[in-house]
Amino acid sequence: MRFPLRCLILLSALLVFRPTCAAQEIRVAAAADLKFALDELGTHYEKQTGRKMDVSYGSSGNFLAQIQNGAPFDVFLSADIEYPRKLEAAGLAEPGTLYEYALGRIVIWMPADTRIDLAQLGWKALLDPSIQKIAIGNPEHAPYGRAAVAALRSVGIYEQVRAKLVYGENIAQAAQFVASGNAQAGILALSLAISPPMREGKRWEIPAKMHPPIEQAAVILKSAKDKDSARAFLTFLKSGEARKILESYGFSVPASAQTQ
Amino acid sequence: MAIEVSSARLAARVRKIRRGEGSAFFLLDVQMEVPSGISILFGPSGAGKSTLLDCIAGLAQTDEGRIAINGDVIFDSEKGLSVPPQSRQIAYVFQSLALFPHMTVEANVAYGLPHAREQTRDGRVSEILKMFRVEQFRHRKPREISGGEKQRVALARSLVTQPRVLLLDEPLTGLDAELKGSIIDDLRAWNAAHKIPILYVTHSREEVDALGERVIALEHGKIVSEGTPREVLDAPRRRRLAQAAGFENLLRATVLDLREPDGVMRVRLADAVCEIEVPLGHAAPGDRVRVAIRAGDILLATEPPRALSARNVLEGKISSLERRGTLVVARVDCDVVFTVHVTPGAERALELAVGKKVWLVLKTHSCHFVEG
Amino acid sequence: MKIEALLLSVRLALCVSAILIAIGVPLAYGLAYSRWRGKFLLEAIVALPLVLPPTVLGFYMLLAMGPRGALGKLWYAAFGHGLAFTFAGLVIASVLYSLPFAVQPLVASFETVDSKLLDASAVLGAGSLRTFRRIILPLSVPGIITALVLSFAHTLGEFGVVLMVGGNLSGVTRTVSIDIYDRAQSLDYAGANRTALLLLVISFLVLSAVYGANRRAGRRAWAPWPLR
Repeated sequence: MRFPLRCLILLSALLVFRPTCAAQEIRVAAAADLKFALDELGTHYEKQTGRKMDVSYGSSGNFLAQIQNGAPFDVFLSADIEYPRKLEAAGLAEPGTLYEYALGRIVIWMPADTRIDLAQLGWKALLDPSIQKIAIGNPEHAPYGRAAVAALRSVGIYEQVRAKLVYGENIAQAAQFVASGNAQAGILALSLAISPPMREGKRWEIPAKMHPPIEQAAVILKSAKDKDSARAFLTFLKSGEARKILESYGFSVPASAQTQ
Repeated sequence: MAIEVSSARLAARVRKIRRGEGSAFFLLDVQMEVPSGISILFGPSGAGKSTLLDCIAGLAQTDEGRIAINGDVIFDSEKGLSVPPQSRQIAYVFQSLALFPHMTVEANVAYGLPHAREQTRDGRVSEILKMFRVEQFRHRKPREISGGEKQRVALARSLVTQPRVLLLDEPLTGLDAELKGSIIDDLRAWNAAHKIPILYVTHSREEVDALGERVIALEHGKIVSEGTPREVLDAPRRRRLAQAAGFENLLRATVLDLREPDGVMRVRLADAVCEIEVPLGHAAPGDRVRVAIRAGDILLATEPPRALSARNVLEGKISSLERRGTLVVARVDCDVVFTVHVTPGAERALELAVGKKVWLVLKTHSCHFVEG
Repeated sequence: MKIEALLLSVRLALCVSAILIAIGVPLAYGLAYSRWRGKFLLEAIVALPLVLPPTVLGFYMLLAMGPRGALGKLWYAAFGHGLAFTFAGLVIASVLYSLPFAVQPLVASFETVDSKLLDASAVLGAGSLRTFRRIILPLSVPGIITALVLSFAHTLGEFGVVLMVGGNLSGVTRTVSIDIYDRAQSLDYAGANRTALLLLVISFLVLSAVYGANRRAGRRAWAPWPLR
């Protein structure tokens, strides 16, 4: 018994006293819709600069609350530009670093085995009687959810489908509701709909004019330990290479960013 | 004692095997017949008395055997028959009594009569409560009545069902003799009308003397004797005599007096003037008894010992010394000849020699009282 | 503060506690008295929700309730719609999640009933059902109350499982804990605070009632901490 016990103590010690992050590692709080895009961006960034990054994915609203309460992030990538603006206003962000890196796109997504001809019907597919539940992000705090509701209103079917809407805590959970088959359709971020696990499903891109832009923005936080690295990351994010990656993951790059 | 012939009879052959590590051993191996009337199941704690009752009642599993009441078989291991306890019609009063704490005395007693019509049930409950003198407590909870009253209620609750057999597991412990006697009288009165076999477990000799029509003595899971209280209580002495074969010193003696508070009695060794103290046994002054002492239990001193806890010190002379392997056998003459075992080392250290004056020290509890 | 969410939570907690008592009592009886050698496996399964994160349970429930899951298929066949995002689905998930909070106090209180009383009942002619009804149940009332109250309180405060399978439907699956989360997410901290405080007070009252009752009963029937 003595040997495993020693191992256990050693293991616990290793876990407790894990070496703290290496120098020049930046910590990024990123909106859930970036999950796949940022993984690739990170690889390129690390290769290019030799610096490391450590990403936490989650709901932008959650991150805002955490950052306001002193969470140790260096860069905040928000699915809603309002949140970094709030931080800027509160003096928690480095002034002048706010950068709108992308515009979110939304799609109607259905599993591959659906009988509905989504490409043909477009948004009218949501009225199909076989659709009992439509998953969207929670419009109260998820930007993609707000955009989805706006789109439904703009084509005039919101009241018709309202009873069928189920809310994911964030857009990734809404995607999970459809992917698991519990909802028959979802209005999701394009970035998620073209990600490897969901690529096979059917999708119809909702025209950008049907909803207010989903402006996504990055900001460097006042509390950032390594501001050089944070700036280096932001510079990389503005590069043509990063823009191409973002576009390939279903984000459109705003005109403001293209002029830079 | 002639076993009275009666229609009511419990016949039990019970073997219960406990399988420990390695070999199996018998926890219980008993065959007995219990006629109507009170039979005492007597034995030290750990003898298996309660387990035997549990087996008869069906609360513990019997591994092998056959149990029948008045010819009606309720357990037979060969036929794979085992009537569940609730259908055996055997009443059982536990040492803890196990009165239902959340029910009144009345509800406790009525518990065994769920199918009787209300009127019949109330009648029977009142009757038995009256019989056992606890009618006035019928609306109280068990915690609101005294120990003796609880025991009466437990008896009433068991007997109201008109069982075919009654098992009592030390039900009257903790009561004074008078109270005990009065409860027993009520039980006898009840049984005068019902005449069922009653098996009464106790480890107290007094209860055996007070109650018994018939006694079954159980030791280490086996019946060691059966008969009248006198016969059974005397039996251990005969058995001990047989065991006394292993004692090197077996001395005749006469009982002088009993000192019950000290748990000892004084005896005079026959053919000698010396007196010794031995543990209290079943004997009266003047009784001729024997005292057995192992040769290895006797201490030998070459000077008169002082400040000792041992009560028996005898003076004598060594009459012979004999070396047997690693043992020295000394014979010491104190009017009676004692055989004493000492080690060769002790023989050298004490410079023992024939004719030397020595003192023998006998611990009271090394002196085994044997026979009447 | 949304009274609707609070009422929904209370309704959910009531349904779940009632169902838990109905299935918990026979289950606890089996756990307390069965001599089955594999019993410890069942004990471990019942205790699982104590250590599993609600996300694990919620995740499996979501899969099970979906059109490809066994539970979902059954439900589709019977009612023609899915189980996720419904009140019934929430009840089923919560029953599983709160199972140990009902079963463990019941087992503990059944086990404290003096076995001699059960023996006495048997020799007085009562079968196991009658013994259970007349002796074990009445003597386990403190444990049953503890089980009820803890299931109620635990369901009232449940979040993870509801979040995973609920879909946040107002009046159907948006319970008070989800409502609090939504408010915190939409930066309505004052609203979140009011509801959270109310939930805190209710939970505290419920738990002090249980511990107080246990104290009066003169013994500890069961309390979630420390674990048995």
